[in-house]
Amino acid sequence: MHISEGVLSAPVLATGAALALAGTGLGLKKIDYDRIVHVAILASAFFVASLIHVNIGPASVHLILNGIVGLLLGVAAIPAILTALLLQAVFFQYGGLTTLGVNVVVMAVPAVLAHYLFLPLLGKSPTLTFIAGFLAGLFSILFSSILLGLALWFTNQNFFETSLAIITAYIPVMIIEGIVTGFCVTFLLKAYPEIIPKKKK
Amino acid sequence: MKIKKTIIISLILAMFPAIVLINVVFAHKVIIFAWVEDGMIYTESSFGSKRKVRDCAIIVLNDKGMVIHKGQTDGHGNYSFKIPENIESDLILKLEAGTGHQAQWKIPKDELVTKASEQDIPTAMKEKEKLEKSPSILKIITGIVIIFLLAMGVKFLKRKTS
Repeated sequence: MHISEGVLSAPVLATGAALALAGTGLGLKKIDYDRIVHVAILASAFFVASLIHVNIGPASVHLILNGIVGLLLGVAAIPAILTALLLQAVFFQYGGLTTLGVNVVVMAVPAVLAHYLFLPLLGKSPTLTFIAGFLAGLFSILFSSILLGLALWFTNQNFFETSLAIITAYIPVMIIEGIVTGFCVTFLLKAYPEIIPKKKK
Repeated sequence: MKIKKTIIISLILAMFPAIVLINVVFAHKVIIFAWVEDGMIYTESSFGSKRKVRDCAIIVLNDKGMVIHKGQTDGHGNYSFKIPENIESDLILKLEAGTGHQAQWKIPKDELVTKASEQDIPTAMKEKEKLEKSPSILKIITGIVIIFLLAMGVKFLKRKTS
């Protein structure tokens, strides 16, 4: 899901960078002092997750885990994802430095939305917690695929065909991410409930 | 006690994907590698390590961006073609691996006209192996350490400002 260097046009890159910068500023402002360690833990998980590759036909897909990062961090997921993507670009040559902003938007926006959509379900019951995690994982990849298609569309590619190809390629990842996220949040709620954000009253 | 618990959970979270899918851990970067041999240009495309880029477009451009040749990788990520005639510039081989993945390789003009020496091919192969190498554990650990150091930096700044 990392967009490589040289694929996108300059206006798309600039817009992505501006949005990522604004989001990172907002995220840093909103980070709760007591939850900074949780941000680091989840950023590390995101950083490592992309090394996990799933071989599906000719496609090359890998775990992303933006769902769990967003679900548990909310807006603070943006600086977490930016840091992890920057390190992936530098250490593993995934994506690129010029595409960093767009990649942050593609992966972080759905993650933040997942927080607001599915966090209320967490902790209600073990089944609902798993479902919330599953949906957060699945939704994040689905929405990221659409944003990726949009970014490519703005660079004069066929949006419908491109998006369809991307979504099709990522269907197995959506399911895998949903299951992984579901199990992760269920496990965390039992073993480390402090990482689950408290609902604001 | 709290710190110990945090460290254990950090390790579990960071390693969870690896535990689940340990046998499919590969790097994810798109690479096209090309060399000239006996009047032909040979290319190999991969996502790093042994994962080949199959059935994807390769576009050959001159230094002005004009398309000179088009082709497609086979099931092993390979593609070869005869050096195009009347080429007076470097060649840029662009691999389009789909879903926003792209890579390129430049063949200097000089390499197109001179015959490869016996040393050129092994040197090129070594470079290819270096490019395809999976990320080392050291890089992964360094990345995680940097993330935690940055987090500590933010924590320090937040404490200072509050």
